[in-house]
Amino acid sequence: MICILALVVFSILAIFSASHRPLAAEAFDCVFRKVTFRKCRTNLDQRLKSQITGKLMRKNAFLAKIVYKNFEIISWLFVILFIASLAYSAYGGYNYYLYGNCYGPEDTGGFCIYNALEGDQFSKIHTKLDGEIILPDTDDDPALGPADAKVEMIEFGCYMCPFSRQAQDVVKQVLDKYGDKIRFVYRDFPIEQSGDADLHIAANCALEQDKFWDVHDLLFTEQDVCVESTGEEREKQIESIAEKAGLDLDKFNECMKSGRYVEEIAKDFEDGAKAGVYGTPTFFINGRTIIGPKPLRAFEKIIDEELAKAENES
Amino acid sequence: MSLNINKIREDFPILQKKLAGRPIIYLDNACQSLRPNPVINRIMEYYKEFPACGERSMHKLGKKVDEGVASARKSLQGLFNTKKSEDIIFTKNATESLNIVANALDLKKGDVVITTDKEHNSNLIPWQMLAKKGIKHEVVEFNNIDALNDKLTKDVKIVSMVHTSNLDGTSIDAKEMIKSAHDNGSLFMLDACQSAPHKVVDVKKLDVDFMACSGHKMLGPSGVGLLYGKQDALAKLKPFIVGGSTVSESTYKTCEFEKAPHLFEPGLQNYAGIMGFGAAADYLKKVGLDNISAHELKLNKKITDALADSVELLGPLDPKDRGCIFSFNVSGIEMHNVAIMLDEAANIMLRSGAHCGHSWFNAHKMLGSIRASLYLYNTEEECDMFIQELQKLIKLLS
Repeated sequence: MICILALVVFSILAIFSASHRPLAAEAFDCVFRKVTFRKCRTNLDQRLKSQITGKLMRKNAFLAKIVYKNFEIISWLFVILFIASLAYSAYGGYNYYLYGNCYGPEDTGGFCIYNALEGDQFSKIHTKLDGEIILPDTDDDPALGPADAKVEMIEFGCYMCPFSRQAQDVVKQVLDKYGDKIRFVYRDFPIEQSGDADLHIAANCALEQDKFWDVHDLLFTEQDVCVESTGEEREKQIESIAEKAGLDLDKFNECMKSGRYVEEIAKDFEDGAKAGVYGTPTFFINGRTIIGPKPLRAFEKIIDEELAKAENES
Repeated sequence: MSLNINKIREDFPILQKKLAGRPIIYLDNACQSLRPNPVINRIMEYYKEFPACGERSMHKLGKKVDEGVASARKSLQGLFNTKKSEDIIFTKNATESLNIVANALDLKKGDVVITTDKEHNSNLIPWQMLAKKGIKHEVVEFNNIDALNDKLTKDVKIVSMVHTSNLDGTSIDAKEMIKSAHDNGSLFMLDACQSAPHKVVDVKKLDVDFMACSGHKMLGPSGVGLLYGKQDALAKLKPFIVGGSTVSESTYKTCEFEKAPHLFEPGLQNYAGIMGFGAAADYLKKVGLDNISAHELKLNKKITDALADSVELLGPLDPKDRGCIFSFNVSGIEMHNVAIMLDEAANIMLRSGAHCGHSWFNAHKMLGSIRASLYLYNTEEECDMFIQELQKLIKLLS
């Protein structure tokens, strides 16, 4: 069986190295003869067995003995592992095409992680809260699309998070494509609660003047400036966004100072945490999760499946 | 006189090197020997100092080449005690030498050729080819004078025998065989590939008609060998491979052939190889072939004493009858596996297989053997390592 592995390894090496081409040809001959139930003519399998055993003899005689006596079984194990890894690689390739990563829709790469256990900070630790996962509802958060849409897509996003910003283009494409078939709800999940919660408060205050989505878009568009600014400078930046969105600044500033949305944002965060959210953006599409900024086809796959399911149920 | 092995080993650059952090233990000398600095330097000298044609160019470099070739012929004349240096013909290797005689002897349909049952393919296949043209090829038991005498008839034109078998190291009583052949009026050719590097081969004392050997088994370069022939025996050979250097004159229709050795040295020669071969002969003479034989026997005795009971030995138990060769199989472990594992585990380099003696192994229903072959630079420590590693392998895997 070692000839099968040798054929793959030597064939790859043969692309770059002429000295490996005769070995690849030998391995091919050996595999061909084995599959036609004949003995390997070149003895490549025996040579590899001897070389491996000989090398092991230098290091560990007992291990050499085990390998020599069980070489065929070990070869089979490696072939099975090889085939399994090949299948896994193919699955990874499929995921890469569909979701832009090798791990599928719940990939944890490329999104902002908040470490809820260790305080207000970005973290690379994958924090999972204890307890039962409770899927989020739309609450009374800002939404686009009809309330009775077949598909409900909830995003837990953060205005400070570059990956949340990155995901907005795809969200827009999704909404354009599916129109009335989808209801999109945005819920707050500030990754740095003491800092960027003011951006979320600003968006919520804009909702009072029916300008939530204008401010929402502007907060992402001008994210870089917001992230870099602090204190008074940040307040001015937020006010500037409100002005650009056409808000009544007096009402807006009053809202910002009132603190009436702190609880609302904390509830969003708590709901997200209960649903297992540990980074932004995290999407729930009829309860199915997409984590991180994924390509349009990743959303299409799930939404189409959910629409088809709803169609079948009706 | 015992050899100063450490001093000898200093002459061999490859023995100063390590592979995978370990020294090389080279025990494949029956296939090809290592080369000492004097041989390597002589080859380099040709390419650096006078890389020109021999036997045809009148300029200074050409003369240097002629002198170098003549000197090499003299060195080999001395090593084999030939009557004249012209008795030595340079060839590509012993295989070519044997083929020259087989094909140039002008054997006729019905003529008989005798070989032994332990011939290297090079002293078997040429005669098999002639057998297809009507020459009768007889095979007799190795070193069995009675078997030879039984086959000797007036039709036997040549007896061609291996001097020392590369399969197990056993030798024929060459003098006795040659005398029988001559008494019958037959020529005798000796394949001395495995004897010439290890013991004195005195062609005058043996009274042999033809003798073939290869440079690469006796410290010389690869790609050069020789055919010795008595002048009257050489005179019986017809031109075989002809062209440049083999004629002194030609017209569009005719030519005038040279005499030996030039008649059998067609085209431009391997001058560097020939000179290196000469240097190898000088080196062997300086060390002394009797000293080499004694050294090899001492080592072979050590190996035989330690391993004879653990392996399936080929040939007689007494190392005196096997010279430098310890040929064996290990019960339960395939021969190539043994050779590869010892190489990988301890850089011990052996030969495994049929050693170009398939006919003998086939007749004895064997696939081949593992062969350790010794030479002047091998040491007792190397033999100890070989013994230790082989015993370890046998204990572990068989």
